[in-house]
Amino acid sequence: MKAPALCCLSAAAIAAVAVTATAQEYTDARIAVATTETISGYNPYADPVVLMSSVWCQVYGCVTRYDFDAGEFIPYVAEKVEAIDELTWEVTLPEGLTRHNGDPVVAADIVHSIDYMANNPSSAKGFLVSDWTNIEAVDDLTVRITTKTPDATVPDNLAGVTVTSKALYDEMGDDMFRQAPYGAGPYKLVEVSIGEHVIIERNDGHPMLSHNNPAQIMYRLMPEPEQRVTALANGEVQIAQSVPPQLIPRVNDLPNADIAMTNSVEMMFLAMSPLTHPWDVLEARQAVAHAINREAIVRAVLQGQATILHGPVSEGQIGYDPDLVSPFEYSPEKARALLQSVGLEGVEVTLSTPVGRYTADRQIAEAMVPMLEEAGFTVTLDTPEWATLWANVQQGNVPFYYMGRGSMIDPSRALHQYFATGGSPRIGFSDPELDELLAAERSAFDPAERAEKMQLAIQRLVDRAPAAFMWQHQMGWGVSKDITFAPRPADRADGWDIFVN
Amino acid sequence: MYLYFLRRLLGAVPVLIVVAGIIFALMQLAPGDAVTMLISDEASEADKARIREAWGLDQPPFIQFLNFLGNALTGDFGTSFRYKMPVMDIVLERLPATVELSLAATFIAVLVGIPLGVLAASRPGSFWDGVASAFSFAGISMPNFWLGILLILLFAGHMNILPSGGREPWGMGLDRITGFLIIDSILQGRWDALLATLKHLALPAIVLGTNMMGIITQMTRAAVQDAMHEDFVMTARAKGLSERRVLWRHAFRNAMVGVVTIIGLEFGTLLSGAMIVETVFAWPGIGSLLISGISARDFPLIIGLVLVYTGIFILMNLLIDLFYTLIDPRIRMN
Repeated sequence: MKAPALCCLSAAAIAAVAVTATAQEYTDARIAVATTETISGYNPYADPVVLMSSVWCQVYGCVTRYDFDAGEFIPYVAEKVEAIDELTWEVTLPEGLTRHNGDPVVAADIVHSIDYMANNPSSAKGFLVSDWTNIEAVDDLTVRITTKTPDATVPDNLAGVTVTSKALYDEMGDDMFRQAPYGAGPYKLVEVSIGEHVIIERNDGHPMLSHNNPAQIMYRLMPEPEQRVTALANGEVQIAQSVPPQLIPRVNDLPNADIAMTNSVEMMFLAMSPLTHPWDVLEARQAVAHAINREAIVRAVLQGQATILHGPVSEGQIGYDPDLVSPFEYSPEKARALLQSVGLEGVEVTLSTPVGRYTADRQIAEAMVPMLEEAGFTVTLDTPEWATLWANVQQGNVPFYYMGRGSMIDPSRALHQYFATGGSPRIGFSDPELDELLAAERSAFDPAERAEKMQLAIQRLVDRAPAAFMWQHQMGWGVSKDITFAPRPADRADGWDIFVN
Repeated sequence: MYLYFLRRLLGAVPVLIVVAGIIFALMQLAPGDAVTMLISDEASEADKARIREAWGLDQPPFIQFLNFLGNALTGDFGTSFRYKMPVMDIVLERLPATVELSLAATFIAVLVGIPLGVLAASRPGSFWDGVASAFSFAGISMPNFWLGILLILLFAGHMNILPSGGREPWGMGLDRITGFLIIDSILQGRWDALLATLKHLALPAIVLGTNMMGIITQMTRAAVQDAMHEDFVMTARAKGLSERRVLWRHAFRNAMVGVVTIIGLEFGTLLSGAMIVETVFAWPGIGSLLISGISARDFPLIIGLVLVYTGIFILMNLLIDLFYTLIDPRIRMN
């Protein structure tokens, strides 16, 4: 099967941008971004959190990236990424691509990077490439990847492959990350202060940049939302990530900043492990889906800052079906009837929720408890600290929990992880029919065909209800009026998306 | 004196080993390990097993602990699972930030708490006594994170005269000599950097020192009041000394032994209290590092940090004991 090629931005367009950029004077403005995630060091493979992945992709360059305007993964460091048969993908690098120190970027660098990700114990990103059985450099500019099974998510996974230098690694080992962080991206690494900030500076002349992208960007860790908003108000930062609903009016009232909203691509859901009772009973799971008044929670707790989900995805994500309406409308009567039909009325369950991990998570879970009790469950609310809850969820020890799953532009990996047989212990769900449908969507390389198969899988998933899908939060970003920044659903602030006014 | 000092230091070694053992055992009881927390569960079991082996987590816990101890005795506290750097490198890089913050908080607490306590003790039942009590009880009762956010909103937001967080402004360009920014600014004659550092230090130090200030005020008040009823105070008054001299030279000096003990112990408490304040003010110290280590089950980092905390406690106690001999000549080293 000849799969469709992923084509890069046209060379002519890039050249035109570059010429325009150099014709004007570059701004020397510096931008500080208040962020919420961990800053864990220099190794680009060590921590898969969104912030650091974004920084490393800006510095080193990743093989692909997601183009929100085109709605697809496009080559980034690569010139072309294409499937040449069901199990083989080829990545082609452009000629003349160089790192910040002038070294060429070659196919061996991509092979080395994937090998490091897969095999080095310092890498936390091995899962992205674990189904790739062979990676070889065909020539200086071409890499061939062989997958275990047909896999349409390779371009998605390649977006997580940061391209570091094999030659420098051979010379310096892991010290390279700190002493010679030379990449081919539009920004250069200036400084990493663990747990505090990362500073990058513009790589003038890079074709992805224009004259008014910031000269330097500091990503500053600010875990407290009040602090982020205050720092935005007094000009300490120009972008504040993740402004919670209760602070949005305050930002809107600021003379120097506005709120920019965007959908997240993080599904929020109630997971129910069928390996435990009563979640081994389909009617009990469906009763939960009927019991939760999502509209009321979004209106009252989230102040309207969320999009209700009818399945695991919403508009803009692969597999979204505008005609899909959840069969589980809010109906405590139907929920109670379902529980009565299987003799489970009054059954005791424990709902676990993180506290402070997601927007208003505890308040939401507290609102859910009376709704579940009205449907006939006897509910205990459990609010452990995040690390304990997360460790237990990952080991399959939590039967019923409220949680989110991000990085779902292409939802395939997340759906396999949570709902395919053996995907992970998080839910422990197994349904051979769903497995078949998920395998089918993953091996469909034609986007339209894949979307159709994904929709079938989602329909089956919704019906079998191993999780009750709730909503996607709308993320508020505080943005200074001195800059233009339209946040994307990926929850990152890349330098090429920030423009100094 | 040197023998006494050496004996106390040697006595600290078993304490440190026991503390390390307790922390290690507690980490074993917590659900999950560093691989569970740092490596996606999308990774295959084989990959996880390979990483556990590389990190030494595949060995029985007792052997892991013995390996840790053996290495620690040579000064190697291992490599952080999360940060991929030697534990002591990370800790020592961030320790000055926490110590500087704690010292500043102690300075504020002592500067306000002792005069306020003496004032209240010298005028029991007066208006000033009431003010001091209200002030100190408020300080003891207010939660750090709440006060921190209030002060951020007031001084950084509403008045915009102090920064909302962090340790220094972007691009201050101060060379690190000691890691203590106040000292480094002075050593380099960078008065602009000194001012900026003090501005960043002000809010977190006030918040961190508030609780201690309340305790010192109450302790000073009680100790000075007790001393004011002692025979030697009556004698001093009978000799015709001024009330001021009686208060500061006789009563206060005798009351200091108890107050100094409290200051020392509270300094240790400040270090652990700094975890919350560091989080609220995005202060890059070891408190926030410990929280991050715990959430990642990064046991070399956690044990390294707890040993540093314990070492500081032990050192503070030793310094207090030495300080006793200065303020009360009747106390001897033996």
